[in-house]
Amino acid sequence: MNRSESRSLPLTKRGLNFEMLMWIFTRLTALAMYALILFAIIGALIMGARQDMNLADVLRWGFMPNSPHVQSTDVPDLGPWSTPFWRIVASGLLLIATAHGVHGLVVIADDYIVTPRGRNTVRGISIAFMLMMSFIGLYVIWTS
Amino acid sequence: MQVTLKIFRYNPEVDKKIHYETYNFEAQETDRILDLLEHVKGYFDGTLSFRRSCAHGVCGSDAMRINGRNMLACKVLVRDVGGQITIEPLLGLKIQKDLIVDMEPFFDNYKKVLPWFINDSPLPADERERLQSPQQRARFDDTTKCILCAACTTSCPTFWANDDYLGPAAIVTAHRFIYDSRDEAAAERLHILSETSGVARCHTAYNCTLACPREIEITRAIGELKMSMITGKLD
Repeated sequence: MNRSESRSLPLTKRGLNFEMLMWIFTRLTALAMYALILFAIIGALIMGARQDMNLADVLRWGFMPNSPHVQSTDVPDLGPWSTPFWRIVASGLLLIATAHGVHGLVVIADDYIVTPRGRNTVRGISIAFMLMMSFIGLYVIWTS
Repeated sequence: MQVTLKIFRYNPEVDKKIHYETYNFEAQETDRILDLLEHVKGYFDGTLSFRRSCAHGVCGSDAMRINGRNMLACKVLVRDVGGQITIEPLLGLKIQKDLIVDMEPFFDNYKKVLPWFINDSPLPADERERLQSPQQRARFDDTTKCILCAACTTSCPTFWANDDYLGPAAIVTAHRFIYDSRDEAAAERLHILSETSGVARCHTAYNCTLACPREIEITRAIGELKMSMITGKLD
């Protein structure tokens, strides 16, 4: 017997199915959201300092970068936020947040619904809701 | 001291609905809740039904809800819970009579994780035993303490809605064998744990850890299994 032998299993032996992949996805997207939120806040603070904005406007600018919304709240010039780079940042945050949130919703809903049919119904509605919200969000970000 | 014992009652052969019955009597602060139940059964109502066996916190027969929390009736003293005591059966399992629940779904899940030692390799040269270092034994020491009382599994919100969820007790048993250096079925057990009703369904509510009368760090054990699934490391 080798008492110091390290025990491990290669991926091919232990496998990783959809359930565990989604578990990992939820953790990683939570971290990604923190990173993107921090990124948006830093960008908004830099632009806020340049434009001499108050905190409310800075936050609107950081997390709701679509021009019709910002125009209606009297935030000054939005030049940097209308570039493809910031639109990609906003799109990433939107897609990650909807996927993360809806997956969490489905997992929690399973604790309150006792029939497989009920679970599948809620799952279907949740996925449809996620796709709809993602589509509307992307449409607003890229066409406004 | 005077105690008021409010006990969940249901006899499917007589009762159409569940109900509670209340008993008032003198007890000692150092009496166990099991002693109070025995007193009620002996002096007030012989039809009261509950499970008990060793009465010393080893067999795990008398897990029940005492003032809303899963505990072993033989390990809890009156002074721990006060004079107003409500006793109910475990949640999430079908009630058979009074405080007795159907444990079959619990044991069905337990059996799924192959709760026995598996090693088909030939014995070592001396043909006597498969040796293990103290460190290797310590790796799974905590999870060997499980007595299958079901206090953890029936405190788990995921299990309440889904009988198919393996539940903390079955996962703890899987932990006990997966990290045993002599066992050779870790891959098979990790496959079982990674299925839809496996460890990914644990929301780390910590109810199981709080409920365990053996003070097993169950949520930690589940976390270790999740990490082993991702990294493949079994140390």
